[in-house]
This record gives sequence, structure tokens and C-alpha cells, in this order.
Amino acid sequence: MRKADAICALIVLAIGILVLYEAARLGIFGWSTSGPEPGMYIFLLGMGVTVGSLVVLGQVFVRSRKGEPDKPFIRLGGLKPVLYVSVPAAAMVLLTEFVGLYIAAGLYLAVYMRWIGKHKWITVAAVSILLPLVSYFIFDRIFLIPLPKGRFEDLLTF
Amino acid sequence: MEAVYNLLIGLQTALSPFNLAVLVAGLFVGTFVGVLPGLGGANGVAILIPVTFRLPPTSAVILLAAIYWGALFGGVITSVLFNIPGEPWSVATCFDGYPMAKKGKACEALTTAFCSHFFGAMVATLILTFAAPIVAEFTLMFGPPETFAVMMLTFSAFVALGGKSAVKTVVATLLGFIMAAVGIDIVTGRLRLTFGSTELMGGFSFIVAVIGLFGLGEVFMTVEEGLKLEGVSVRMGVRTIFQTMAQLPRFWRTYIRGALIGCWMGIKPGGATPASFMSYGFAKQFARNPEEFGKGTMEGVVAPEVAAHAAGVSATLPMITLGFPGSPTMAVILGGLMMWGLQPGPMLFKENPEFVWGLIGSIWVANAIGVVMVLSFVPFFASILRAPFSILMPSIVFVCAIGAYAVNNRMIDIWYMILFGFVGMAFKKLDYPIAPMVLALVLGDMAESAMRQSLVMSQGSPLIFFNRPIAGIVNGLAVLFFFWPLVTALRDRIRKKLRAPVKA
Repeated sequence: MRKADAICALIVLAIGILVLYEAARLGIFGWSTSGPEPGMYIFLLGMGVTVGSLVVLGQVFVRSRKGEPDKPFIRLGGLKPVLYVSVPAAAMVLLTEFVGLYIAAGLYLAVYMRWIGKHKWITVAAVSILLPLVSYFIFDRIFLIPLPKGRFEDLLTF
Repeated sequence: MEAVYNLLIGLQTALSPFNLAVLVAGLFVGTFVGVLPGLGGANGVAILIPVTFRLPPTSAVILLAAIYWGALFGGVITSVLFNIPGEPWSVATCFDGYPMAKKGKACEALTTAFCSHFFGAMVATLILTFAAPIVAEFTLMFGPPETFAVMMLTFSAFVALGGKSAVKTVVATLLGFIMAAVGIDIVTGRLRLTFGSTELMGGFSFIVAVIGLFGLGEVFMTVEEGLKLEGVSVRMGVRTIFQTMAQLPRFWRTYIRGALIGCWMGIKPGGATPASFMSYGFAKQFARNPEEFGKGTMEGVVAPEVAAHAAGVSATLPMITLGFPGSPTMAVILGGLMMWGLQPGPMLFKENPEFVWGLIGSIWVANAIGVVMVLSFVPFFASILRAPFSILMPSIVFVCAIGAYAVNNRMIDIWYMILFGFVGMAFKKLDYPIAPMVLALVLGDMAESAMRQSLVMSQGSPLIFFNRPIAGIVNGLAVLFFFWPLVTALRDRIRKKLRAPVKA
């Protein structure tokens, strides 16, 4: 947990420095025709984040010096189910770019239910076909919100 | 009496057939969403915002508010039957609600919780109805420095009240403000924090952030912990329901105390959770049978429920009078308001009275319908949680993706959603609070323009935030709240030192 805490603080620190750099580019001090220089506001934010992340780093350091007991960031055996969810989800998004959200989601549902859930094929087929279909009618037809359809754009829009 | 007249108009608006249908649909969806793991009120509202663009603003806000009230009811079901608090303020409800359900009194526990919920909401709505116009009148005097001061107070309250680490609360808040700043400078029109990327020019949408942080983050957490749902089954008998209701007036002291605590705490951001614990604590202290608390006593269900829902409703007060949301869900609704082209704040009462009073009227109607609805459909909603998780989980991810895409019709937003999912999980584990971050993302532009306008007014002197009477007092309070964790830490250290010699 401490290691993760430190890594997270370092990422935040990097963001803070990035923001400070941007603020410097836009101008921090001084007065322009429209009030304070445009970099002033984000300079304050960047400063706060930078200082804050340094304090968090300091706290982590003090705690590890004191040798306080530490918990693991991810429970033993907890990483696998998270990857099982997130990797197919990312694959679904990637697939959406090509075949659209409905088909990608159908495949995602089917793969997850069959592979992780070990459901019967009939359940798998029913859910992974019906859910995207129902969503299509709700969003695309009733509320007229076009969801991405990738290459099937022409096929599905009338 | 003007308030009564306005309320009647509001009720009329809320009771028009179309709005009533919208309200019932919202309540139903809300309860559904509140029961599902990974989809809370904030998330449900965020996903449905794109749908509301097709509705008139009053119906749209009624829909979103109804989802919120529905989600609160849904949270009660999961706390009592499954010992899973849907929202942080339901934690105290689990203390006695779940033991009661285990003893076979699930129906009694749920009836008690729903009725307490109803009572708390009603008291808060009553206060809201009469206080809101007065507060709105008062806040009409606010200029940019005062607006900025109230924002500072809002975020300082998070530092003082919530979170385990004050520094991390500050960092999370500022990260929210930074995300809001990405894109185009609102005053000069110059690009900032985009680093030459066209994708970043559009900035970050708070809806995508909410769906990722609350929705996917929650899903990831749930699978990591290897969720096992062991619910208590329930049979709702009409007779048991009425018998339970008949016993409730005995706890009138707890009801009134809880409602008042809730209303008072709810006005402050993040107030519902401390309110529910405070109310539970007081009820235990004053009870004749304190040793029964935690083992499944009715009063232990009443106390936190009344306070939490009084607080939930009174969070509407700062939102419609000042334009400051008291909870993440309110922040999302507020964001919706801005997207429909309404300017939240005191002018709303003057310019769109039918909108404000329609909303207030709908709270009355929604809570009345809600209680009856959940009482009759509890077994149905509970059965949702018994559906296999391997079907629920991918469906939730799919619905989240729809919501994220539909905000701006941008593919990149779905990617952001997944990224935010990981951020949400990491932040939860590392005690970075998510609520103030989302609030900052929603309020970022408003806070920035208030600050910059104030500085223009004072020609650059930051003293303007302290030498105007209202701004000065509010900012003073904000500073006090901000350093509150430091003050209490010092006090504890001094106390320890004072006590040490006595022990020795």
C-alpha cells in the first residue's frame, strides 16, 4: 500500500509540475488587459497539487521509517478478476472503433458470461443479443441518441 | 403565504400526467440503479443526462431528481437485506437493519427504514419550501467575491468533515479543478493544458469522470474483493407493514431529533454521512435500552435513516439557491442544469419559477409515491441482486459505456471512462476522496470566473475576499474549516501532554 501511495503521489507531483510549466508559459504574474495573467489561476492549482503531493510523499516516508505495518494494495488473488474485467472491457472499446458499440458489447457480454460466468449457451446467446438490441431501440430509435456503429453505420441508420 | 401558492403551482406541474409518468419512471430506474453494485445515484443520473436533452427542462430535472430519490430507496434495500451500504450514509442503517433482517424481521426493518426515510424527506422538504425563497432573496446580493467565498467554504468543509487525510482531500479537489481548466481559457480564449493535443481541447466531461470514478471504479473494487452476496430473503406482508407503522410514533423523539440534525448537516456538503452517524449516536445515548443498539432494534434503523434523508433533501437548498451542490449526485444534476442552458443560483427563482417550484413540488410527490412503490416491489428489486454477477457486471460496463459516449458523441470519452475507472479504484484504496474531486470538476469554471472577476474588481488585490462583509465572514469560516484538522491534531497533542504527568 505504501509503495502504491508513493507512486500515486509521484504521478500527482508530475501533473503538478506539468501544470506549473504550462502556467509559466501563459504568464503568471502581472496584469493584462483582461485582468490577471491567464496563467495565474492554474499556477495556484499547480502549486497546491505540487505541495500537497510532496506532503503525501513525506508522510509515506515517515510511516515507513516508523516501520508501521503495511497492507498490500491489491488483495492476494484480487488482481486476476480485475484484469478479467478490465482487459475485455478495453478490448470492447477497441472493437467499438471498428464494428460499433452494439456488436462489440454483444461480443463482450458473450465472452464474459461464457468464459468467466460459465453460463449455458442459451443464456449467453439470449442476454448478449437481447441487451444490445433493446439498448439500440431505446437510445437510437426512441431518444435519437446515435451510438457509435463503426463500419456498420450505413447498415443501421435509416 | 406566497410560498404556499408557489408550492401549489409546483405540485400542479409535478402532477401533470407527463411529469408524473417521468417521475414514476425515474423512481423505478433510480431504485434499480441504487440496488445494482457499481451504479449509484450519481452514476445513474450521469448516464441518463443525454436522454434528458429530449425533454423540457422541468421534466428533465424531475426525472433526474426522481432517479436520485429512487437510488436512495434502493440503497436502503441493499443495506437491510444484503448488509451492503449502497452509499456511505447507509452504513449506519446496516448496524441495526441487517441484524433485524437476520432475525427474520426483514419486512419490519424495511418498513421502518422507508417510513423514516419518508419522514426525514418530508421535514426537509417543508423547510426547503419555506426557506429556499428567503435564502435566494438573500443570495441575490452576492457578487463574484461572495460566490467565490461560498465555494471556498464548500470545499473547506470537505477538508474539515470528511476523509481520512486532509492533504489528500486538498489534492483531490485541486486535481478536479485542474481537469476543469483543461481546454480553453474562459477569459482570454487561449488554449491551456492541451499540450498541442486536439483531443484535450474539448476538456474533460464531468459526466465521463463520474461514470468512470463511481461506476467502473466500483465495479473493479467489487470484483477485486470477490463479492459474495448473501442476502436475507424477504416476504412483505401487508399486515406486518401496517403493524410496524403503528409502532413508529413511539420513536417521535428520535424522529424529530434526526430530522433536525439532517436538515442542519445537509446544507453543508458531504453532510449526510456525519448526520446519519450523529443521529444514531444521539439515539443510542438517549435510549432506554442502549445495549440493544447494533443487535437489531427499530430505533437504530429510524435514527440514521431520518437524518440521512433529511440531509439528502436539504442538500437541494444550496443547489437551487446558490448553485452549489451538496452531494456528488446533486453536482451531476447541477451539471445537467447548466447543459440545458439554465443558470443555477438565485436568479433561477426569478427567471424560471416554474422550474424551481416544479422541482420542489416533485420532491413532495416523489417521496409519497416512492414509499408505496418500494414497499410493494421490494422482492422484485431484491431479486436483481440475486442475478448472477457475471451477467450483471458486463451489462453494467456496457451501460456505462453508452452513457460516457452519449455525452459528446466522442469515442475518446469511453477511453477516458476506463482510465477514470482505474483512477477511481486507486483513489478509493489510497483514501483520496472522490466526491470533492467531482464537485471541483463541475464547479471549476464557475469558481475560476468568480475569482478572476473579483480580482478585476479589486484591480488585483486579494484583500477583496476579506474586506467585504459577507465574503469576509464566509472566507474566514472557510479558512477555519480548512485548518480544522490541524487545530484538532494540535488540541489532541496538548491534551496528551497535559494528561501525561497525571498518569506518571
